[in-house]
Amino acid sequence: MIIRSQADLESIRKRGLTKIQPNHPRIGIGVSSCGIAVGGMALYHRMQEIIQNNSHDILVVKSGCIGYCKEEPLVSVYIPGKSQILLHKVSIDDAERIISLACKGDIPQDLALCRIPDWDHITGNLVYGDGFESVPDYGEIPFFSHQKKVILRDCGLINPEDIDEYIGIGGYFAAFKALTSIPPDTIIEEVKKSGLRGRGGAGFPAGLKWEITKKAPGSEKFIVCNADEGDPGAYMNRNEMESDPHMLLEGMLIGAYGMDVHEGLIYIRAEYPLAIKRLTLALDQARAYGLLGKNILNSGFDFDIQIATGAGAFVCGESTALVASIEGKTGRPRLRPPRLTEKGVFGRPTDLNNVETWCNVPVIIGKGAAWYSAIGTKGNTGTKVFSLVGKVDNVGMVEVPLGTSLQTIIYDIGNGGALGKGVKAVQTGGPSGGCIPQRLFDTPVDFENLNKVGTMMGSGGLVVMDEDTNMVDIARYFINFASSESCGKCVPCREGLKHMLLILNRIIAGKGTQNDIKLLQELSDTVQKTSLCGLGQTAPNPVLTTLKYFIEEYDQLITPEGR
Amino acid sequence: MAVPGNNNRMVTITINKNQYLAEEGEIFLLTAIRHNIDIPHLCYEKALEPYGACRLCMVDVVTCGKTEMTPACTIRVHNGLEILTDTPQIIKHRNLLFELYLAEAPKSEVIKEMAAKYGVTKTRFLKKIVHDDPLQGKCILCGLCVRVCEEIMGNSAISFINRGPYTVINTPFYEHNPDCAGCAACARVCPTRAIVCEDIGESRVMHSWSETTVALVTCPECGKSFAPQRLMEKVLTKLEPGLIEKIKNLCPECRRKYFTRKEIHKIPLTDREP
Repeated sequence: MIIRSQADLESIRKRGLTKIQPNHPRIGIGVSSCGIAVGGMALYHRMQEIIQNNSHDILVVKSGCIGYCKEEPLVSVYIPGKSQILLHKVSIDDAERIISLACKGDIPQDLALCRIPDWDHITGNLVYGDGFESVPDYGEIPFFSHQKKVILRDCGLINPEDIDEYIGIGGYFAAFKALTSIPPDTIIEEVKKSGLRGRGGAGFPAGLKWEITKKAPGSEKFIVCNADEGDPGAYMNRNEMESDPHMLLEGMLIGAYGMDVHEGLIYIRAEYPLAIKRLTLALDQARAYGLLGKNILNSGFDFDIQIATGAGAFVCGESTALVASIEGKTGRPRLRPPRLTEKGVFGRPTDLNNVETWCNVPVIIGKGAAWYSAIGTKGNTGTKVFSLVGKVDNVGMVEVPLGTSLQTIIYDIGNGGALGKGVKAVQTGGPSGGCIPQRLFDTPVDFENLNKVGTMMGSGGLVVMDEDTNMVDIARYFINFASSESCGKCVPCREGLKHMLLILNRIIAGKGTQNDIKLLQELSDTVQKTSLCGLGQTAPNPVLTTLKYFIEEYDQLITPEGR
Repeated sequence: MAVPGNNNRMVTITINKNQYLAEEGEIFLLTAIRHNIDIPHLCYEKALEPYGACRLCMVDVVTCGKTEMTPACTIRVHNGLEILTDTPQIIKHRNLLFELYLAEAPKSEVIKEMAAKYGVTKTRFLKKIVHDDPLQGKCILCGLCVRVCEEIMGNSAISFINRGPYTVINTPFYEHNPDCAGCAACARVCPTRAIVCEDIGESRVMHSWSETTVALVTCPECGKSFAPQRLMEKVLTKLEPGLIEKIKNLCPECRRKYFTRKEIHKIPLTDREP
């Protein structure tokens, strides 16, 4: 069926809603990569088997990840008219019990994590119902209560492999509104007004980039989604694509319409096979509904998206290397200018945005720039998704308004160190970021304040270190990563990082001297100032920040002979 | 874009607080060289697009009182351009880069001389020792050979292999490469003279490129082997057809002789010197 009118879209929305809230029990199994890793897929198959063998009137579907990765596999149970219940740490042995209880309109209380009486999908509001009062409310769980879900609004609640469910909660309505009633320039104006900044780490105003791309000379242009998320410990984009792929497609569709671009590309790393699979499926479903292709929504606008997979290089997340990789060349950065907006994919003007940047677009258009810019702080509007990992108690995907303090994220949401240990530091921004000591945890997380303490937002990885972590070892880990991912084009990055690693190895082996620390400092400075691309320019940050905040740990490794 | 040498507008630029006239659109590195302002560089070649990988030509661009380090080979001259080439910062970073080069290419005399000129005579870093290095421990991976082979000669016989600190340059799979025309443009542009090739009898052996061997054309007149066959074929397609027949197989020296004789024969016998 091709969607041509509001009525068409409305009829699919109704169908989608009956899939989310059917008149018989619905069980959703969290099968994002995190859920699958702890047996989610086996659980899904087991449940399907039980239902088929007993011809139960129960719907078992796949769902994404709601973010509480520590509690996976998470299972949502909806009994018609009652609150949706999230079950946690479900094992395959629980399958039979969950189903037989669901048949009776009940749930296993011992596995219940929380209940969801209603949910604000932002694009639409869903009321599930009351009941199961003994189970804590969603808002009473500290991990959830401090979060604000805008991008992750659907994650874990809808089936990512079914476009109907996305439309069911109001998806593609923003795109419909845009394509049928908003002039393209107004779209760009709206995104500019929203204050949305690039979520890939640099924080460049997205609307401005769109405008520059649109004004660039040339009729054939590209928009590209950067899904080459490669920071160790960061998996926000993976979850966004695995749990709610249509959110990304809708964002790109609206952006393409605003910029009057007809070709889109998603550059995704090959290490994300499930995300690739779900995106491919989502693209097929969107094409089948006429949401991609020719004359989309009967508006006369043509647009389609192709997937380009990477081949395993961190540096391909850098814009010019990414373009080289798409063109089939070795992923090596080139000099800028010219910027991508001037000369991008195959020499044509290209707008490149991160997955999460695109994901913000549907709600900005759907709810308006004023609604969006009220979230966060001035100059840093909206929310940001972080993957809270490392030695923290509550590991998972966290979404908070920009400007939220690290304290809130690590202690209120993350519940402090794992196994009750004290937290020593947090690494933000992956190998390009730095380590922030515990005493600076009142730092608000936004683009400027993180830069002030010597680190950066990056794409959103937060790696927590506890009292047992050796900070010199952390610095070595990241330098080793950056050095092995260096493309080898310019000398500071290729040779400088190699020697930084050799020096750090020497220090950790107890063979370092005070001169080594001095040389390390000197070399970090040169690599930072003279490297060609962002990888080299930011790679010394873990060393510079650990030298600044944890110098005593370096000193402790220097033997008396080395002093 | 303005192309230098095409009577472009002359503009005033400031280098180290002194004013100079320069051609608009020219690459700043070339302007500086012309004015005898010393900026070390390794990866720039006029015939190729700026690459900006050696990082030695970093200078400070001053805009509104703020400075930004930029490679001189990537800056285009425009009116009011202000550059500082020898601030303490620039010198500090450049010297450390020299130390990195000394460690990376410990056998290169060119690097040693260049570094010594700027007062860097030893390195604090571990020197890279590669046994049987086809590039004799002299390669600094500036990429000029790879680029000239691809962009100018159109052969792409060599390329970068691996990445990061493990990057090397050679033929695919370190095998004898039939795509190599044997032009030796790579050896010609190499700033550290790392590439070894040799003419042996009727062939040219590219020792550095996995001993790739190409046949040479032999001059029918003097019997000397003088140019790679494939390169000759390519060159001959570009000459005027009438001109080539008699001389096409001759070596440059015999060609000169041929034309000299022809010119001499134009002079009437009576006018010739006895």
